[in-house]
Amino acid sequence: MEEKQKTENQAAAQPVLNKNTFSWLWEFTKGKRGTYLMSVILALLGVACMLLAYICLAALIRELVTGGRDHGFYITRGVQIGILWVFRYAFHGFSTYTSHGATFGLIGNARKQILKKLSTMPLGAVQTRSSGEYKNIICDRADQVEPTLAHVVPEFTANIIGAAAMFIYMMTIDWRVGLWQLICIPAGFVAFAVMMSSTPKYYPDTIKKTKALNAAAVEYIGGIEVIKAFGQSKTSYGKFEKAAREGADCFINWMRKENFWQNFGMACFPATMLGLLPSGVMYCLNGSLAAADLIVLIILSFGTVAPLVTVFGYMDDISKVGEIISDMADVMDEKDMVRPESSREVPKDHSISLKDVHFSYKDTEVLHGINMQIADGTVNALVGPSGSGKSTVARLIASLWDADSGEIRIGGVNIKDMPLAEYNKHIAYVSQENYLFDQTVMDNIRMGKDGATDEEVMEAARKCGCHDFIMSLENGYQTICGGSGGHLSGGERQRICIARAMLKDAPIVILDEATSYTDPESEAVIQSALSRLSAGKTLIVIAHRLSTIADADRIFLISGGTVEAAGTQEELLKSSPLYASMWENHIAARKEEA
Amino acid sequence: MYRTLKKFFDFCGEKERRQFYLSIFLGVFNALFIALRIPAVYVVIKAILEGGLSKKTAFAAAGIIAASIILQTVVSMKTTMLQTRGGYNTSSFKRLEIAEHLRYVPMGYFNSEGLGKVTSIATNTMENLSGIATRCVMVVTKGIITTLVIVAFMLFFNIWIGLVAIATMIIYLIGTELMIRAQSKDSDIAVKAQDKMVSRILEYVRGIAEIRNYDLFGKSITNVDEPIDEFTKYSTRMETVYEVAMFLLSILNKLSGVVMILMSISFYLNGSMSLVYAVMMIICSFMIFESLDQVGAFNGLTRTIENCVDKASEALSSPTMDIDGKELEPKDMSLSVRNVDFSYDKRKIIDNVSFEIPQRSTAAFVGPSGGGKTTITQLLARFWDVDSGQVLLGGTDVREYSYDSLIRNFAFVFQNVYLFSDTVENNIRFGKPDASREDVIEAAKAACCHDFIMALPDGYDTVIGEGGASLSGGERQRISIARAIMKDAPIIILDEATANVDPENENLLMKAVDRLTKEKTVIMIAHRLKTVENADQIFVIDHGKIVQQGSHSKLMNEEGIYRRFIGERKQASGWKISSHSV
Repeated sequence: MEEKQKTENQAAAQPVLNKNTFSWLWEFTKGKRGTYLMSVILALLGVACMLLAYICLAALIRELVTGGRDHGFYITRGVQIGILWVFRYAFHGFSTYTSHGATFGLIGNARKQILKKLSTMPLGAVQTRSSGEYKNIICDRADQVEPTLAHVVPEFTANIIGAAAMFIYMMTIDWRVGLWQLICIPAGFVAFAVMMSSTPKYYPDTIKKTKALNAAAVEYIGGIEVIKAFGQSKTSYGKFEKAAREGADCFINWMRKENFWQNFGMACFPATMLGLLPSGVMYCLNGSLAAADLIVLIILSFGTVAPLVTVFGYMDDISKVGEIISDMADVMDEKDMVRPESSREVPKDHSISLKDVHFSYKDTEVLHGINMQIADGTVNALVGPSGSGKSTVARLIASLWDADSGEIRIGGVNIKDMPLAEYNKHIAYVSQENYLFDQTVMDNIRMGKDGATDEEVMEAARKCGCHDFIMSLENGYQTICGGSGGHLSGGERQRICIARAMLKDAPIVILDEATSYTDPESEAVIQSALSRLSAGKTLIVIAHRLSTIADADRIFLISGGTVEAAGTQEELLKSSPLYASMWENHIAARKEEA
Repeated sequence: MYRTLKKFFDFCGEKERRQFYLSIFLGVFNALFIALRIPAVYVVIKAILEGGLSKKTAFAAAGIIAASIILQTVVSMKTTMLQTRGGYNTSSFKRLEIAEHLRYVPMGYFNSEGLGKVTSIATNTMENLSGIATRCVMVVTKGIITTLVIVAFMLFFNIWIGLVAIATMIIYLIGTELMIRAQSKDSDIAVKAQDKMVSRILEYVRGIAEIRNYDLFGKSITNVDEPIDEFTKYSTRMETVYEVAMFLLSILNKLSGVVMILMSISFYLNGSMSLVYAVMMIICSFMIFESLDQVGAFNGLTRTIENCVDKASEALSSPTMDIDGKELEPKDMSLSVRNVDFSYDKRKIIDNVSFEIPQRSTAAFVGPSGGGKTTITQLLARFWDVDSGQVLLGGTDVREYSYDSLIRNFAFVFQNVYLFSDTVENNIRFGKPDASREDVIEAAKAACCHDFIMALPDGYDTVIGEGGASLSGGERQRISIARAIMKDAPIIILDEATANVDPENENLLMKAVDRLTKEKTVIMIAHRLKTVENADQIFVIDHGKIVQQGSHSKLMNEEGIYRRFIGERKQASGWKISSHSV
């Protein structure tokens, strides 16, 4: 739990964008780049149609203003314009559609790649994020990327190129007026520049306040039981209310500061008429511009700057997309476990040795040179104060993490020289947190051994003392284990997991606090299941009761990230004062208990 | 779309709704000021076509446009602020409302899944809403109002062309509604595909350890690609409807524009309209649908708003309890339960249970997991309301007390310790907000926390959790006991912790519990033999019923669950693992 909080903290401290964000975004577009290009081309065709429509319109206006009275001419032009509009929107629609298809594909790619990544990075690193965080990154937030990414390509192409094309066309009619109409643009840019310059000042604050507000909500809701039970709803609510007020105020204040500039900019940008009308009138007066041309220019200028404003609307969204992709990039940038495709050597037995193993967790070294020898088929216990690193040692042996330096060997083979799947066949790692899939009890146990028969599954279940309770379920072995079905208790779930491990029949068994569970009522049954699971295996146990491991062949006392002592219970009681005092404590507690 | 906006405005608080309405009202003026472009152009065109073009024309036109810019800026500053306030305040304070609502919901209602969902609504959903709602309301209202104002101008110039514009606008708006409806079927399919994808992904992520351990790659559970592709397919299909509709609607706008142009020309040619008006109509027909297009572009977002509002409303509609009873002092601290039935999710959990717990006695509840022990203790403190029967505190039904005056009498130690990300001191003080530092330290000492707290970097000022100290399971347990000691309530409800207890601290934990429960009425879900043995009364609960009841010595002499349970516990605590064990 604490670990998880630390991770969240680290994530919060990271910059919004890392340099890999765009390279990952590029990577995710693999296979979709052609489609995006198609989208651009379609958007350009749309722009061309639009330009032609305006040219037809200009011809129509000229005719009208210069006194043409031929109905037929106008109707022809009108039909031409109509057809061009149809094509323009058809192209644009196709462009947008194509781009959407590509974007959905891109998001799909990203999802697949992240999920695949979870199978190659160290399991321990996978587990530093909660499943909720993964859901957030892979599912919820990924969907939010879609509208922006899908629209960026066609809208940017159409609006920017479209505006440019219109501008050039106007320049060909009268370049002076064409330039005059841009008179407001500098003012608009200044306004937006001032506005943007406030971003670094206010944006981080809104992120901070929003995070604080979310944290307050998480805390209030998560602690609602405690808050109500202690009758403290008012106090905590006050804190939350303050966070909510600040969460809204930071945006409101930011808006207040940039309010003038934003709205002034938004009013200035499209105001092409401010320069166009007076300059056009002046050139008309001095005879250098035809009246008809001025009218045409007036109409055309509606199509030049307004589209650019639409583009500005996407700027905010793009930075948000960057943020989301950067969360994905953080996962993708995790170090992979490097393992060969196939084994170079076969372990000669199931002994385990650790030689000068160092390991750091988040830049802090937690194991400082662990040396251990575990003989084939023996019972070994890891003990030590909480935080000593005993669980980390077990996890390194189970290959959940890779050691920073030093070697771990089984049967003489360095575990880094074996493919992960191959290595996993040797290990059964049982903790409190074994997961049951949303499938039948039968299939869940069967996962232990590919192609196991129903008989084998039931045999394993019998050995773990689950057969009877499984048969008493409404659908027996066909009961679905997921959250909705089954109503299995914690102890029952754990026993099913042990049956699965039993079926796997791995020669090395690691019990990581597997006996300290939230369901003490079934402790005795689980213990006997564990005994059967580990019979005759090389066993490594971390147990919460010292008496449990008193008979172990070898006990490793781990303290402060090193092996402080090793030996049998008797040897340790004599040689290690720390072990002796832990044992005394334990006995005192047991006397109270029994 | 209008339904969505209406829904959103209804969802907003009274004050925010007024801000939105006022902003819409001001939006009309804003649109008028934007439309000042039309008179400016009119001045110029009239002068060109009817003579009288002069420098004055140029100044007049420039003056009108300049005024338009200034007035627009002033008014839209006001509307922007109103909408920003409305949008962000709504999403911020809805979070409070959702949290506030939880106070009235039966406490047992929240399993971790339910809480996770509410949390996600109060964070992600509301955050999403705050960004989108403000912008969407701005663009949509501005688009519609601007269009209406231009339509009004056109009606003024020529009624027929104005009518065409109105008709187009109506068809456009109906069209967007139809589109949303046409999409809803595909959208339902897409949502289903999405749910399937999400649950597969979650299953994959949660089971990743097993998938890797048992090398389940290539099995059906790890097949996440298929649901992902499926979702991609249906989302794309949904988009098809949207694109086709947007295409048709844009075409409608533009073709109607062409019709208006041809109408103007034809009116001019047959002499019923002046050339100036005809040219103005042509210009208007270009401007008119510019803002309407923007409205269409925001359609996708209105769907998101609707989604967010629905989710939040759902969270606010979970059933509540009436907790406004009277301020009562219980006559004594005895508890009695009379013929209580309780069901959850149509499953009977407590089945006609009756018992008495005298003041200052200790009652231990034991029995198989899932038997109903936890629910019974929860009913005592009214985390739930009973279906039938009564729970009495000091002879008075718990439902007659106001929630605060009831809960005052209880202190709890839960199995899953929840500590706030606040200082150690404040976490302990949570039991009694006005306690002095000395009181806090005394409670910490009683709960055997003082020593390890002093060893923390900032002692009692160390912040727990995020960015602060990490505590072991046993330390957290003891802080939660200190918190309960601090409250000093006459009745203690204790779910004895067995998980996450570091062995070297077990002793201290037991000492802390002893101090907490001294001289109190104690109700405990007991796991330790010693605590069970010393209880005044033991209730064995199975399948929602009391199957055995009495003192330890009495129950040990009976055939039944209890004796078996004690036997198993003894065996469990003496378990040894060795190479000879089978």
